[in-house]
Amino acid sequence: MSHHILIIDDEDDIREVAALSLETVAGWDVVTANSGAQGLLRAVEHQPDAILLDVMMPGMDGPTTFRELRKNPATARIPVVLLTAKVQSNDQRRFADLGVNAILFKPFDPLTLAQQISDALGWK
Amino acid sequence: MSSNTEPNPEPPGLAEALNRLWRQFLPQMLERVTVLDCAIGPFAAGVLTEEQREEVNAAAHKLAGILGSFGLPDGTILAREAESIFAASSEPNAIAVARVARIVIDLRFLIQNRR
Repeated sequence: MSHHILIIDDEDDIREVAALSLETVAGWDVVTANSGAQGLLRAVEHQPDAILLDVMMPGMDGPTTFRELRKNPATARIPVVLLTAKVQSNDQRRFADLGVNAILFKPFDPLTLAQQISDALGWK
Repeated sequence: MSSNTEPNPEPPGLAEALNRLWRQFLPQMLERVTVLDCAIGPFAAGVLTEEQREEVNAAAHKLAGILGSFGLPDGTILAREAESIFAASSEPNAIAVARVARIVIDLRFLIQNRR
């Protein structure tokens, strides 16, 4: 089943590899944003099935972006998957406490990223 | 009979597209290694400023987050180790300095020789 995903990440390389992976491996539609602020606008505009959200971004970071998404009724119900290179357990607990739907870790395998998202969100 | 444990077949064109992205972002990868390299001197002398520390931690963190996706998992491990050394050592010792210098050499070699 095809899905529509919004990737929010300030790093061009991560954004492009993730988009390539989801489009090529899974055939999903992908839209991207290079900042939290741009991501908020794109989420309202595109109403994706899920958002893949980087944690460490200049300006509005991932957790702040997530809280803003949840505050807005237009985006409050969109599943959010945090994507982070932070592997320490205290960081993971902190992110889990935010209430995101799932946490995935960088570096991701381009061949399995879509499957990881599907599994994390309970998509068939 | 098919097995669920079989690896996903790679879609045609994925490797080629990843290689294209690798070539596109190679200068950026090497620039991040240069950031690490340039920080070794101030780090060894114990004069790394907070701004420099943030810059070098960010460079190591970004390398750790992407190299594995391009098939360089050892690069991710090395970059994580560099991030940890730069972040932790307020008073670096000779072993930490030597280790991070070695990591920079190894990272540059891995990145320049990815096939």
